[in-house]
Amino acid sequence: MSKPVTIIMIEDDEGHARLIERNIRRSGVNNEILPFTNGTAAVNYLFGNDGSGRDRKGDALLILLDLNLPDMTGIDILRRVKENKYLKCTPVVVLTTTDDSQEIKRCYELGCNVYITKPVNYESFANAIRQLGLFFSVIQVPQTAT
Amino acid sequence: MGQILLLAAGFLVLVSICATSVILVDQARQDSGWVVHTVEVENQISTLLLEVRRAESGARGYLLTSDPRFLAEHNAAAAGALADAAKLSNLAGDNPVQIENNNRLRPQIQARLAELEKIIDLVKRNDTAAGLASLREAGADDSVARIEDVANAMRAEENELFVLRTATADRTQRLASIVTVVGSGLVVALAAISIFLVRRSADARDKAEAQLRDNNLNLESTVDERTADLREANDEIQRFAYIVSHDLRSPLVNIMGFTSELEELRGDIFKRIAALSHPTVPTSAVPVAAGETEPVLEGADQQLSQDFTEALGFIKSSIAKMDRLITAILNLTREGRREFVPVKIDTRELIETVVSTVAHQASEAQAQIRVEPLPNIVSDRLALEQIFSNLIDNALKYLKPGVPGDVAIRGRTKLGFAIFEIADNGRGIDPKDHQRIFDLFRRAGAQDRPGQGIGLAHVRALVRRLGGTMSVSSELHNGSTFTITLPIAWATSNRNRDT
Repeated sequence: MSKPVTIIMIEDDEGHARLIERNIRRSGVNNEILPFTNGTAAVNYLFGNDGSGRDRKGDALLILLDLNLPDMTGIDILRRVKENKYLKCTPVVVLTTTDDSQEIKRCYELGCNVYITKPVNYESFANAIRQLGLFFSVIQVPQTAT
Repeated sequence: MGQILLLAAGFLVLVSICATSVILVDQARQDSGWVVHTVEVENQISTLLLEVRRAESGARGYLLTSDPRFLAEHNAAAAGALADAAKLSNLAGDNPVQIENNNRLRPQIQARLAELEKIIDLVKRNDTAAGLASLREAGADDSVARIEDVANAMRAEENELFVLRTATADRTQRLASIVTVVGSGLVVALAAISIFLVRRSADARDKAEAQLRDNNLNLESTVDERTADLREANDEIQRFAYIVSHDLRSPLVNIMGFTSELEELRGDIFKRIAALSHPTVPTSAVPVAAGETEPVLEGADQQLSQDFTEALGFIKSSIAKMDRLITAILNLTREGRREFVPVKIDTRELIETVVSTVAHQASEAQAQIRVEPLPNIVSDRLALEQIFSNLIDNALKYLKPGVPGDVAIRGRTKLGFAIFEIADNGRGIDPKDHQRIFDLFRRAGAQDRPGQGIGLAHVRALVRRLGGTMSVSSELHNGSTFTITLPIAWATSNRNRDT
């Protein structure tokens, strides 16, 4: 019996977090959303106190990641997730303001599954998030390795 | 300077040695002349005495034999003696002592010759006995001894002179050799000094050269350092602009987002107000019409709704503008970070491509674009496309209303640079705005066309990065000409090396 998918939202801007959450909800996704406003807290949750990631064993997670965090870059978190034997299959959606092609390439090289640039225009932003929500409602998320 | 002085001194020494030697040699010649003269005088004295003796022996022979041959010999010798005496007085005329002696000698000789003459006369008169007596008498007479004395005195005088003159000649020669030796020594010493000085100045020159080389190296490294500093500063500015524009975007998303949320809330609130103020309308009808129609409001409520809409409208348009500006900065910094790749470019083909993309705009403005022959260059293709499309776009955008546009693109080369001109017959630019139009976010003239004031700033930045310059010449109502000067063969320079 698989657990329901938990969405881990790592986003330092609380306003953005609120807007993202609202728009995901509007698209009819009712999964639990765990918001983190800094990298350290998110890393602690994902990898546990011992840093091995064993705590999250068997969870079904989906990570929504901002690259510009106050205490570390999202790229570091992405790399650690994709290098961790428990978490490496977890889908990671990078949702950030950066639309630098180098940065995008780097994220995909590190194994990010989707890269989305936050549109400033709110219509587009809301639209993008809602479509992301629809995407969340249909994709299959594997459980973390046991 | 010291070298020249030294050489001059050496030359002077040489000249003076030569002059002194010449003088001394001449002196020595004169001295030996005098020595020879002394010998000659002595010789002459001996000759004179010999002649006197010959005259005497001739006279004696005649006395004894009465042979006329002896008489002839006597006569010849007497004449010779007189001549010799004259010669001697000539020779020794330079010396007062000898003149004196000579004057004493002459009478003696004359006296002696006279005596002999007397004896010969006696013999001629066949009075041999008287002659013999006379000879004997004469022999007893001291005239012979006196001649001897005077001659000896003269000889002694000449001997003295000989010793003196030989000594003088010796001294002169020694002096000459001393002068030569000392002069040569001096010359050698001067040569040594000048060799030393030459060596020293050569050393100094070598040292200076080494110093120069070091300085050059230092200069190069200083330039490198400065260049690195500048590059770093430039990178920092780019990063700064990038980060700032980036970070400014985040709050903008929130402002925009929550403004939109407020807008939705506004819709809900006024729907509710409408529903409350018109209780007769069935509530079930409201949700159906929610998306499309504005709720019906009256009086103060209507005003309130309009104010609300207006405020939100201003907020949204300002945010949109700010977003455009930030995007522009981002694009500019991204352009600044893009690596340029120099390739060979068929300029005409490139510009025709650009012209074809604005063909629609051109036909709308009834403008024709003339592309004249252009030089091909080596440069970054994308940058050139952006430069020309911005300038041609501007030319079409700011035409004079009602006048058919005429845009000309010309090119020529000069000293390794290609000069392109984009000339139009448009509305022109006031000369006081010529600097301003190149500034970011600044525009000039009537603001009746959409734009951010970015195009020319961007174009100028690109032209600079390509190692070129650009300028504008224009007057109001008389069209504008933008001139771009680009290197014909641009290579990836250090401006671009690490960006």
